[in-house]
Amino acid sequence: MSLNKTEIKPKKKPVWAAPWGYTEGWLFVAGLLITGLALQLVAGGLSSSALAWPVNLYAGLAFTGLIVFGWVFLRKNSLVSWLGRVPAAVTSIAMITFLVLIMGFTLQEDAGNPAWVQSLGLSNMTSSWPFLFGMMFFMASLGMATMKRLTPMKGRNIGFFLNHAGLYIAIMAGLLGAADLQRVTMDLYEGEVVWGATDRQGHYKDMPLAIELERFNMEEFNPKIAVITTNDGRIVSESISDMFEIGKGHRGNLIGWDVEILEFHKMSGRIDGRFEPVVDYGAPPSALVRVTDSHGSQVEGWITSGSFMYSHQLLQIDRDHSVAMTIPQASHYSSDVVIYTPDGELIETRIEVNHPVSVNGWKLYQYSYDDRFGKWSSSSTIEAIRDPWLPVVYTGIFMLIFGSVYLMTLGKAPEKTEEQLAAEAGEPSGTEPESNIKGAA
Amino acid sequence: MPIDPTMFTIAAIVLWALGMLLFLIAGERKVIKWLAHGSYLAGILVLAVFTWMLWDILGRPPMRTLGETRLWYAMFLPVIGYATYIRWDYKWILHYSGAVAIVFLAINLIYPDNYDRDLMPALQSIWFVPHVIVYIFAYALLAAATIVAIKGLIIEYTGKQWTWSMQLADNLVYLGLGFLTLGLLFGALWGKEAWGHYWMWDPKETWAFLTWIGYLAYIHYRYHKPKKLTTAMWMLAGAFIILMIAWFGVNYLPSAANSVHTYTQ
Ligand code: HEM
Repeated sequence: MSLNKTEIKPKKKPVWAAPWGYTEGWLFVAGLLITGLALQLVAGGLSSSALAWPVNLYAGLAFTGLIVFGWVFLRKNSLVSWLGRVPAAVTSIAMITFLVLIMGFTLQEDAGNPAWVQSLGLSNMTSSWPFLFGMMFFMASLGMATMKRLTPMKGRNIGFFLNHAGLYIAIMAGLLGAADLQRVTMDLYEGEVVWGATDRQGHYKDMPLAIELERFNMEEFNPKIAVITTNDGRIVSESISDMFEIGKGHRGNLIGWDVEILEFHKMSGRIDGRFEPVVDYGAPPSALVRVTDSHGSQVEGWITSGSFMYSHQLLQIDRDHSVAMTIPQASHYSSDVVIYTPDGELIETRIEVNHPVSVNGWKLYQYSYDDRFGKWSSSSTIEAIRDPWLPVVYTGIFMLIFGSVYLMTLGKAPEKTEEQLAAEAGEPSGTEPESNIKGAA
Repeated sequence: MPIDPTMFTIAAIVLWALGMLLFLIAGERKVIKWLAHGSYLAGILVLAVFTWMLWDILGRPPMRTLGETRLWYAMFLPVIGYATYIRWDYKWILHYSGAVAIVFLAINLIYPDNYDRDLMPALQSIWFVPHVIVYIFAYALLAAATIVAIKGLIIEYTGKQWTWSMQLADNLVYLGLGFLTLGLLFGALWGKEAWGHYWMWDPKETWAFLTWIGYLAYIHYRYHKPKKLTTAMWMLAGAFIILMIAWFGVNYLPSAANSVHTYTQ
């Protein structure tokens, strides 16, 4: 028996009579979706560059100003008071969920999607009209809820403020700031000073800083050993349990073969059919392996992954199969660079994955290298990103971090079941919790 | 292979199963109760020791593959179940968490990971550990909340006379959503350092966002309509389906063809 059924239903309120609730919310969502899709079909998708500075600043101020104005002067208006309550919040959250759900199932790229998906903007969701309208509804509700609880600012309301205002600030700055985000890449070659960069569309851009690559560094994990079919060089089983890391003395079972590594060199050269450790440009790793099949017969020999200078070498283990060494994976890579700025500053530093370097409002990231040469690459690609709105986004993010800690404290002692209440009857029940969820409407 | 998980896994499974059995038959007998507590906690301890050893031997946090995230989940879930039991005296949640943790460990037994030491450079970050731990912890809390909802739905649809309370589910969701939000934000801060942007609507991120907003809808709906239990319970069930897609379903979606962060199988 659901409790819903035992609730005494108030007389049904006609749609659009105050106060608005869920019905009005769903109608609102339907209206926004239809208008959005129509605009999408007629006018095509949106371009975030239309919001470039200072348009985005004005747009953000205007939107926020409208919310503040609405709350201060038109609090009694049906739309304004409704936006600040849960039915608007839940329906706008549902609309965003619906749109993002479509996005979650659709490849976000024009290529590979049917024409109708493209023209409805579904393959480019975040720059479509329905998404814009959904976000405006969502932000209007979030903003109005924040205004509503701004006073009195104490206790519970501080936690509320951190969550709601934090989210408002983070999303607003993220959406508007996207128009001012610049991402370019700079291709560096050892010993060359580079001033120019290219953006995603391949346009050249002068940079307010220059970078010279002194050295590209890479460290590698040990390679792995796997069974391959000899004639097409394909790994028989890609599962990582059918290969293991090479190291002196390592031993394992690969699809029925017992494989033992007798010798391993990280860098080596071939001398009289053997491999010896050498330190040389392009020197590949090598290993001496012993393979025993299920009948006990053994083969032994050297294998190497090869490098861009030397060819690889396999060890044949039966008519169709061989064991092979995989190409080692990078464990760390970085660029030692000198950065020159227009005001004559000279910064010597290292740019590494996960450790970007900030210079003159740009953040420099280790992006890629010439993978044909791997650790002998003499070039390196740096990505430079300028995101002037980042401090605002981070303000919101840190408010949210504190807000989520507050959220964790909201749990309450459980309601007592009837049996427990009966058992405790007679005792003064000063601790009896009231439901933590007080109906708002 | 640097470490064989079989013995640890089996030991944890046996200790939990024994603990659950003892809890069931203990009644008022003190000694058996203590043994039950001991056995249940020992299971968690064994798994914790194994995880710590694995971390040490691999030289990287064991959080890269799906199997490794299942390991953490199987460790956290009984912790949450036990804490909930101690704090609020819900015994059934202890059994439920133990059972789910056993299933997860069994999956790891059937599909063993060959623990591979490679960790791509983008994952080598101070954010990696807090991000994953906080997320898996949130998943475990929200799974427990889902079970409250499913138990409520079953009671309702079998037509029993019921006094079901969503208080426990609400508590678990507040905690779980708090951790989920932290996971999302840590991910954003990490993304900025590793890939240059805090949010890129990558498929994994898209589904993480959906999970998050689903629970957000739940708490707001609960706040507004505390009496409408059935709708709320269905919302929890739905949100958990999205959570599962975000955790491992994304790997199989066509939209994830270009994802930068799906777990290695
Ligand atoms: C970080 C995300 C969010 C968190 C953690 C959060 C949390 C909460 C909580 C716990 C409440 C219960 C009231 C209280 O604690 O005093 C609440 C109320 C509310 N929230 Fe949120 N919320 C979030 C986002 C949103 C969004 C996106 C919207 C709108 C689209 C929204 C609109 C509302 C509204 C209208 C109320 C009712 C306020 C009232 O009537 O006093 N919230 N929120």
